[in-house]
Amino acid sequence: MTDFTTMSNERLLAEIKSRLKEKELYQNQVNKLNSTILELGKKLNESESLKTHFISNISNELMNPFTSILAISENILSVDKENWKKVIHMVSLIHTEVFNLDFQLKNIFAAAKIEAGETQPEITLINIDQLISNLIQSFKHESKVKHLKVDYLSRNLVSDTVLYFKSDAEKVQLLLSNLLSNAIKFSYPEGNVQIEAIKDEETLTIKVKDEGQGISKSNEQIIYDRFKRLDSGINSLNRGHGLGLSIMKAICDILNGKLSFESELGKGTTFTLQLKESTGDTTGISTDADEIFFKEDIF
Amino acid sequence: MIKQVDIEQDTYFLYPAALVVKEQPMKIHTILGSCIAVCLYDKVKKAGGMNHFMLPYWNGTGLATPKYGNIAIERLLDGMLRIGCKQENLVAKVFGGSAVLNVQSNAFSIGDRNSEAALDLLGEYKIPIIAKSIGGTLGRKIIYDTYTSEVIHRIIKN
Repeated sequence: MTDFTTMSNERLLAEIKSRLKEKELYQNQVNKLNSTILELGKKLNESESLKTHFISNISNELMNPFTSILAISENILSVDKENWKKVIHMVSLIHTEVFNLDFQLKNIFAAAKIEAGETQPEITLINIDQLISNLIQSFKHESKVKHLKVDYLSRNLVSDTVLYFKSDAEKVQLLLSNLLSNAIKFSYPEGNVQIEAIKDEETLTIKVKDEGQGISKSNEQIIYDRFKRLDSGINSLNRGHGLGLSIMKAICDILNGKLSFESELGKGTTFTLQLKESTGDTTGISTDADEIFFKEDIF
Repeated sequence: MIKQVDIEQDTYFLYPAALVVKEQPMKIHTILGSCIAVCLYDKVKKAGGMNHFMLPYWNGTGLATPKYGNIAIERLLDGMLRIGCKQENLVAKVFGGSAVLNVQSNAFSIGDRNSEAALDLLGEYKIPIIAKSIGGTLGRKIIYDTYTSEVIHRIIKN
């Protein structure tokens, strides 16, 4: 303990000043922590209410396709034999609706599975070129409607062969279909979408570039929040459930990957996905070689 | 119908951010660094489950996955109750939470924060912790037998 009775006035004043300063420092820290907690509480509340309203929010997304499919198929049934050419157009409408529905349901089920902790990586050797070509093919109708040009560039820096990569095929496909779907969704008509895959020694980098509306700085922080849609007004042209990016982020965690983006408002967005190649050990159980002490405890 | 269960055959490797609960006996393997694995066991039903979380609390961003302690422990408990376990018969064993990454000296390491979260949450659910091996600087490999509740625990180099 410092003996204050023997201190000179100047030293006492200096002591008080330094303590006040210290107090201020702690006060600042407490204030900072306080605001973090408040912010967190607000976020959790919001997330909880979005979750509660999830079904009512997406019921339109789920019901509308069924209503249109039902109506269109009734029309098809009543088409005269002479007018059968009209049917092709109607079938393409049905295809669009079913395609969207299928895509959205896949995402919803994937999210439910990840949130339940039931998702495990199943590693296989994937032909990335083929996977992306098939994906572009499956989104052909969507891109055609908006007159978009979708290009694919494949660069294998390791060898001259087709791009093979060891990872979980189903999850990589879900990642890429979300990226491509977003790129198409947020593109202006007659734009370009470019997919580029680059593979070096152990990483696969996939860039998906669109020339669409871009993401504003203020929205950059919240795009990964679940159920969040930046433009969710009643007149919104963009359909969806706001799960896509949060699913992608969670899958990246599982596959040891990274997802980042660069965006300029009005000019477009480039999403970059980086995946580490899985090692040959598909079970993930490490060998006993790195264990030290060779001691086993039983608990 | 009485079914013979081959206990030796049913092994399960648990990945980070996942969890597993099954009525059937199994041996769950996992490897831990700063992550925590909570093993729950029903003494009466002789069944169990395990989670493997990486961070203590979900911060409201992204999906609410069992990557986060509070979600992982709640989901694991839910799973146990769903297969017919009773909360009063449950006991827990906690492993992991080592400081495998070099961090600044005075800040809590992720491992410490994970351990604290696990102990706090289990306390909140009033589940007794009958064994634990947490902290340190080395990784762990554990094999949990959900029929006997026995956990084989080895220290590993990272």
